[in-house]
Amino acid sequence: MGKKAFSDLKVLDCTQGVAGPYCTKWMADFGAEVIKVERPTEGDIARRMGPFLKDEPHPEKSGTFFYLNTNKKSITLNLESETGVKIFKELVRKVDVLVEDFEPGKLSDLGLSHETLKKLNPRLVMNSITDFGQTGPYRHYEATNLTLSGLGGAMYASRPANKPTDRPVVEGGLQAEYVTGLLSFIATVAALVNQVRSDQGVRIDMSAIECVASTLGGHVAEYPYMGLSRRTSPWAIHGYPIGYSAPCKDGWISLTPGIGGAPNIPFLIGQPELQDDPLFAKPAARMAEPEKFDALILPWLQERGKWEVTKEAQELRLAFTPVLAPGELLEDEQLKAREIFVEADHPAMGKVRYPGAPAKLSETSWQKGRAPLLGEHNGEVYGQLGYTEEGLVRLKEEGVI
Amino acid sequence: MGYKLLEGIRILDLTMVFAGPIGSRILASLGAEVIKIESAMRCDVYTRANVYPENEPGEEHWNRGCFFHSLNAGKYGISLNLGSEEGKEIFRRLVKISDVVIENFSPRVMENWSLGYKDLKKIREDIIMVSLSGLGHYGPLRDFYMYVPGMEGMSGLMHMTGYPEEPPLLSGYAYGDWVLGTTGAAAMLVAIYHRQRTGKGQYIDVAGREAVISHIGEIVMDYTLNGREQTRLGNRHSSSAPHGCYRCKGHDQWVNIAVENDEQWERFCQALGYPSWTKEKRFAEASSRWRNQDELDRFIEEWTSQRDHYEVMEILQKAGVPAGAVLNMKEIHLDPQFVNRGFFEIIDHGEGVGKRPILQQIPAKFTGVEKFVPRRAPRFGQDNEYVFGTLLGMSKDDLKRLEQEKVVGGIPVFPPGRRTRADLIEKQGAGWFDPDYLVEIRKKHGDDIGKG
Repeated sequence: MGKKAFSDLKVLDCTQGVAGPYCTKWMADFGAEVIKVERPTEGDIARRMGPFLKDEPHPEKSGTFFYLNTNKKSITLNLESETGVKIFKELVRKVDVLVEDFEPGKLSDLGLSHETLKKLNPRLVMNSITDFGQTGPYRHYEATNLTLSGLGGAMYASRPANKPTDRPVVEGGLQAEYVTGLLSFIATVAALVNQVRSDQGVRIDMSAIECVASTLGGHVAEYPYMGLSRRTSPWAIHGYPIGYSAPCKDGWISLTPGIGGAPNIPFLIGQPELQDDPLFAKPAARMAEPEKFDALILPWLQERGKWEVTKEAQELRLAFTPVLAPGELLEDEQLKAREIFVEADHPAMGKVRYPGAPAKLSETSWQKGRAPLLGEHNGEVYGQLGYTEEGLVRLKEEGVI
Repeated sequence: MGYKLLEGIRILDLTMVFAGPIGSRILASLGAEVIKIESAMRCDVYTRANVYPENEPGEEHWNRGCFFHSLNAGKYGISLNLGSEEGKEIFRRLVKISDVVIENFSPRVMENWSLGYKDLKKIREDIIMVSLSGLGHYGPLRDFYMYVPGMEGMSGLMHMTGYPEEPPLLSGYAYGDWVLGTTGAAAMLVAIYHRQRTGKGQYIDVAGREAVISHIGEIVMDYTLNGREQTRLGNRHSSSAPHGCYRCKGHDQWVNIAVENDEQWERFCQALGYPSWTKEKRFAEASSRWRNQDELDRFIEEWTSQRDHYEVMEILQKAGVPAGAVLNMKEIHLDPQFVNRGFFEIIDHGEGVGKRPILQQIPAKFTGVEKFVPRRAPRFGQDNEYVFGTLLGMSKDDLKRLEQEKVVGGIPVFPPGRRTRADLIEKQGAGWFDPDYLVEIRKKHGDDIGKG
């Protein structure tokens, strides 16, 4: 492995929660110096989000905060104070990137508009990540992962294929947030490639509902092309084999015969005489009578485990895969071989295991690490700006840091 | 809108269907020159041949599918048969003048063609190669057959989606593919930035399943920290209530409401005018609301079901309570926020299709950099002259000979164009049709929509 991709890059990170921190986590894990600015005393809201180590709510024991802030430095700074604003400007001069997620207009109210910051640092890449964007009628609306998922269109299209008019269901976890973080990272790095070449900064305006909507891909275009608004998966609509979950002895298995693979199902279930039955030969026939299909395959599945079924089916080129619970991932042979889970030591949490690199890059080191304690790097970061220890004590007394 | 941030970076795109094309369209929108490579025997069948304008396959239906238009806008397209020796040789010449190769074949295919990373590196020392797959290019299970259900199912995400007493649920829009392709784009940009500084290329192995795991990190950590196996909660939150999707007036209309704390609960009750149930003791505190949310949800739905979902959103937003209409595919095209910010790109997709809105694959608004309007998704083999002639310097005669030898060009081998089975979809309820869609879209996106 060679150098870290972002080892010369300095990032000022004024984000909290999930989306912004996920964006800057990518930078920090690939080597950037990410200085995370937190409010004195309470810090990032993710410090109050579970899961907590041993279920003990504590600002230094949140798994969510840990996962999203690995390899970052934490400083505390009160931007509501005049001195805080002054220090912030000093920091902006020294960085390549500013990522922030304040409500639109908030930074301008503090005297830190993009115009002001651009004067201090003309090559600054500034990415503003908000729920609805800097403009538009909803820009001051309140939102959460759930409401973003609905407004972005993703929920309407997520319902069981066999109960398409049931209540829409949100994707598990915090997908609207992660999606926004990942796209924000991409936009930021594209601006940085441009910065290296042109020495020019840019301003980026990201909107979380737009990020969610961009996950809909071609599906959303079905409306302007033929007036279709889908409620469920494309497989159900276009007659391709569907990927629904069927119960087996020890959990669930995802039945996706694959294009052209279904005729092998009779061999899997030990009924080769059914190989010419339209149920297996024709997706449309299977979709028209799913109960008939189920009646043949479910009893067979009931007697077998998900891995047993998967391995037999894969031999027959059937794309059946097990539905795994998060804890089962830790024991998975493929993930073990690829060393997906990593471990880091944390002063308050001890040894912590968490999912590592999202992609394997051969030349650029991805680094594991831990999340910072609140204000852990005040001495180091403010020291570099020339503040003495006494100066820092005074700033602390004044509530600035 | 496109932005010229990555001008001069050339990407050879061998990917098909959803994941890869999503990733490469992102790069095209950011200004890279993406050359999509198909061949007459092997082209992007699934997306080219699905959902045509006005549900009419028409002539050359492989150039008319909406999925292909949306997933491949901004790219160049050539036809080149990599199964032939001469086709491979031309590909090698293209590698020499390119920066990135991205592919999503099953592991081993590129190596079997002698076009693996080691081979490409010999042609161009600093090439970046990105391989997208379900489970990754090494490891005991790398040869599994799998699609989106494998990526979402083997990552823990499906286990977390749906209701506790019902089966794990697959996303309705191939989310796993989106995560794979977009993570690939992110990793590719890391490598481009790295190369700009060090001059070194590299190989990138992205597994869709691992990319999805990255998006449920905090859920996995409940297991590593506490040994707790979380499970799906429908639309509920693990500690706060009300938190759900509620039926509204009209058919299949819904609104999400997420009350995060007692302060918002107070404002919520006020916005509803304090009906008697809001004063019940069992709903007074977050923990008791959470315990009694079955009853709470019934009361709330009585209120929402008498109102339009936009109306509910506005009433609650005025009170500062997070609420959002669940938008269907029609509403999202007409919604004031999406329209105001120009989320949908209006691109002229050519004869017989005309201008139609497609989504932005990277909805970032940049200021301080030159913009451009992305080109429409390529017709099959549309840019052969530019790529083989202008870039590689082949003569017209060379091209003619290669066409005769079926190395380039040709007519794609395609199943006949089929209309979408609207009757079946409506019968099963998998979707619904709006006969006035062109009128509706024109109201917000211009009178010339749908006119070629």
